[in-house]
Amino acid sequence: MIFEKRTERIVLAIFFVIALCIPLFLEDNSFFVGKVTTILILAVFVMSLDFLVGRVGLVTLGHALFYGLGGYLFVILTPEYEAVNFWVYAIYVMGISALVALVVGVVVLRTSGIYFIMITLAISQMVYYFFFDSLEFGGSDGLFIFMKPDTSIFGLSFLDLDNPSHFYYLSLLAVLITLVAIKIILRSRFGRIVEASRLNPERTEALGYNIFAFRLISYIIGSTLAAYAGLLFALQYGYVNPQFMTWEMSGTALVMSILGGMGTIYGAILGTITYEGLLYIFEHLSDDWMLFMGGSIILMVLLLRKGLAGYLEKLLEK
Amino acid sequence: MSTELFFVQLINGLQYGLLLFLIASGLTLVFGVMGILNLAHGSMYMVGAYLVWYFVAVTGSFTVSAILSAVIALGLGILIERVLIQRLYNRNHLDQVLLTIGMIFVFNSLQSILWGNDPYGVAVPEALSGSVPFTDNSSYPVYRIFAALICIAIAAALYFMVSKTRLGMLIRAGESNREMVEALGVNIKSLYTIVFAIGVMLAAISGIIAAPMRSIVPGMGESVLITCFVVVVIGGMGSIKGAFVGALLVGVISTFAAVLMPTMSNMVIYLFMILVLLVKPQGLFAK
Repeated sequence: MIFEKRTERIVLAIFFVIALCIPLFLEDNSFFVGKVTTILILAVFVMSLDFLVGRVGLVTLGHALFYGLGGYLFVILTPEYEAVNFWVYAIYVMGISALVALVVGVVVLRTSGIYFIMITLAISQMVYYFFFDSLEFGGSDGLFIFMKPDTSIFGLSFLDLDNPSHFYYLSLLAVLITLVAIKIILRSRFGRIVEASRLNPERTEALGYNIFAFRLISYIIGSTLAAYAGLLFALQYGYVNPQFMTWEMSGTALVMSILGGMGTIYGAILGTITYEGLLYIFEHLSDDWMLFMGGSIILMVLLLRKGLAGYLEKLLEK
Repeated sequence: MSTELFFVQLINGLQYGLLLFLIASGLTLVFGVMGILNLAHGSMYMVGAYLVWYFVAVTGSFTVSAILSAVIALGLGILIERVLIQRLYNRNHLDQVLLTIGMIFVFNSLQSILWGNDPYGVAVPEALSGSVPFTDNSSYPVYRIFAALICIAIAAALYFMVSKTRLGMLIRAGESNREMVEALGVNIKSLYTIVFAIGVMLAAISGIIAAPMRSIVPGMGESVLITCFVVVVIGGMGSIKGAFVGALLVGVISTFAAVLMPTMSNMVIYLFMILVLLVKPQGLFAK
C-alpha cells in the first residue's frame, strides 16, 4: 500500500469519490465544473511544489516559472491553426521543461537555505520579465490558443477538450497520476535517499551518495510536473500570459501547500481546495476579501502548526 | 551616450540606490538580528507613503506629516512584533513566509478600504521644489538631492547606532549568540521588539521620502520588496554594509539598463544577482 496513513486513505477516498461524481450532478453548470477543474489543476501544481519543499527540502519561491513555461511552450511549439495531438505535445512540453529544469537546477542548487529561496525567486522573475517585455511572445497580453488539441490515442478518442466535463476528468486523471507517481518515488530507494539528504545531508553524503545529483533529479521531476499543470491551465482558458509566472503565483502555491500540511502530498490537495474555497466564499461575501483571506492565513499559521493534514492526523491516527 | 547624460544617469542611479538602501536596511537588519524573513516589509514602505500623503492632505505640512507618519510606523512595528512576529521565533522560515504573506493581504486590503485604489501624489515641499542647474541646458531637482542626503544621513546614523551605541552592541551580540546575551541578563525580547520596530520605521521613512518622487499606487510595496530582496541577497543577507553596496550597484545598474537596453532592463538586475550568487553563493559581504 503506497498510502501508509489511515487519515491519508480516508481523505483520498472521500476526495476521489466526490471528485468522480461532481460532473454527473453538475452537468448543466459548466461554470462550476470549470472552477473545480482549475482547482484540480492547481492541486497538481501544489503537489509538485509540496514534493520539492516538504520532501526534498528545496524551498523554492520560483516554482511558477515552470507553470508558465508549460503553457508558453505549448503555444510556441504548436502550429497556430491546426489541432495537434495532446499527448504527443504534452511529452514535448514536459521534455523541454525538464531540460530547462536541468539547467536552472544546476545553477540554483549551488546555493542553499535562504539563498536558495532568493535565487529561485530571481530566476523566475527574470523569465517573467523576459516574457513580459518580449514582442514576439505577446508581451503582457500573452499568447492565445486557437485550436484545442485532440486527445486520441492510436486513433481512439475518449476525451473532447471542448467539453468541460471531459476536461475535468483529464485534470482529475492528472491529480491521480501525480499523486501516485510522487508516492511511488518517495517509497523507492531514490526517494529514501532524497529524504535522507533533507534530514541529514552530511551523513547522507558520507554514505557515498551524491546528494547534488539526487536533488537535481528531484528538482527536474517537480518542475516537469508543474509544467504539465501549467499546460493544462493554459488549455483550459485558451491563453497563457506572464501572470502565470509571477512570484505571487509561487507564493500562493506555497501557502496552499503549507496550509494543507507541508510534505504530506495529499495535504496539498486539501490545502488547494480549502484555499480556493475560502477565496471563492470571501470574494462573494465582500469586496474586501483580501482582508479575510489574509486574516485566515495568519490565524492558520498561528493555530494549525502542521496544516490541515496534521490536524486531521491528530484526530484520526492512533 | 554623452558625458552629460552619463553623469545625470549616474546621479539618478545613485539616488535610486540610496533609497533602495534605506528600504533594504530594515529588511536586512531584521533578518540579521532576528532571523525573520519579513515579506511584508514592502507593505511598510507602502504604509509610509500612504500615511504621509494622508497627513499632507490634512495638515498641509510635509515636515509635520513625515514625523507623524514615522512615529505611527514605529508604533505599528511594535504592535506587529508583539502580536504576531513574537510567536514565530521558534518556527522555520516557511511559517514566517506564510504569516508575512498573510500580512501583505491584510495591509493591501486596509489600504484599499481606507484610501481607495486611485493613484495619488504628494507635492514636493515648497522649500525644496526648485532645481539646481547642472549644465547650460539641464538641471537636477533639489528634492532628489535632499532625498539622497537624507538617505546618507540615515545610513550614517544606522552605522553609528550599530557600531558605537549600547543598543548596537546588544544587537550585534544578539546576532552572534542569542542565548549568551540572555544569560547575561539582557531582555532579548524587548531588544527584538525594538529592532523590528526600527526595521518597520526604516521602510516607512523610505516610503515617506519616496512619496513626492513617485506615484502612490496599490501594489507599490510588492514591486519594491522584490527589488530589495535582490539588494540584500547581492550584499549578503543580514549585512548592512552589504545592503549599502548592493543597493548602489542595483540602483546604478538598473538606471543605466533602462537607458541602454529598454526591452531588457527589468531582467538585468536579476541576471546580475544570479551572476553574483554563482561567484559568491552567500552574497558579497556574507558573514
